[in-house]
Amino acid sequence: MEGSDTYLIRPNHQHKFKPAIVKEYIHEIVRERLSGVRYNPEEVPELSHSLADCIKDKVKNAGFDRYKLVVQVVIGEQRGQGVKMSSRCLWDADTDNYAEDVFMNDSLFCVVAVFGSYYY
Amino acid sequence: MTGMEEYHNGNEGSFSSEEADAIVKECIESVIGGDDYNQNQVNKWTATIVERCLTQLVRQGKPYKYIVTCAVMQKTGAGLHSANSCYWDTAMDGKDDFKSHYTVYTVPCESIRPP
Repeated sequence: MEGSDTYLIRPNHQHKFKPAIVKEYIHEIVRERLSGVRYNPEEVPELSHSLADCIKDKVKNAGFDRYKLVVQVVIGEQRGQGVKMSSRCLWDADTDNYAEDVFMNDSLFCVVAVFGSYYY
Repeated sequence: MTGMEEYHNGNEGSFSSEEADAIVKECIESVIGGDDYNQNQVNKWTATIVERCLTQLVRQGKPYKYIVTCAVMQKTGAGLHSANSCYWDTAMDGKDDFKSHYTVYTVPCESIRPP
């Protein structure tokens, strides 16, 4: 019987999804793209999409192979309203993880969450 | 080699957005219903909605991992935009977004079937 016995069903410790690193990426990208930006209802849809794609590409190229990614970006206008965002996941806590970051300036707030789930 | 093709769940196929939609809608309505935004309750609401949703989705018994996020915002006329970008297998995985008056829900589901 032939077959390779090298198919990994668990990531190596070095290849695990690292929340701290991903959070750093998110923080950098968001700060660069949103500093000094004012909330503009025409531009924001496009801005949030492009931010999501940009972050996804950056994390993809960071070398987390075998990880499926979900990036969620929420941008809202600051008008003194209350907002609460939460999430729950059903996954394998050993291999999967997430990273999030919040950015605020006086005209808008932006929450980014990146979830990484290992593909067996 | 025998035994290799035997793992076959009755309802295979890609993620069904309509079913998820129905589940989510029912959850939100049962938790918030017609209530007004209340700062003290908001924590409890989001936690309850998300947990309830997750349990209902899991009850479907499909071989999926789930990620459920929920944002509840007070209506003051301010705008809110939500975007996602996903890197996954488009044949097996999917997501469902649901907006109601205050809540935006995203449920991405990733298949865990082995290749």
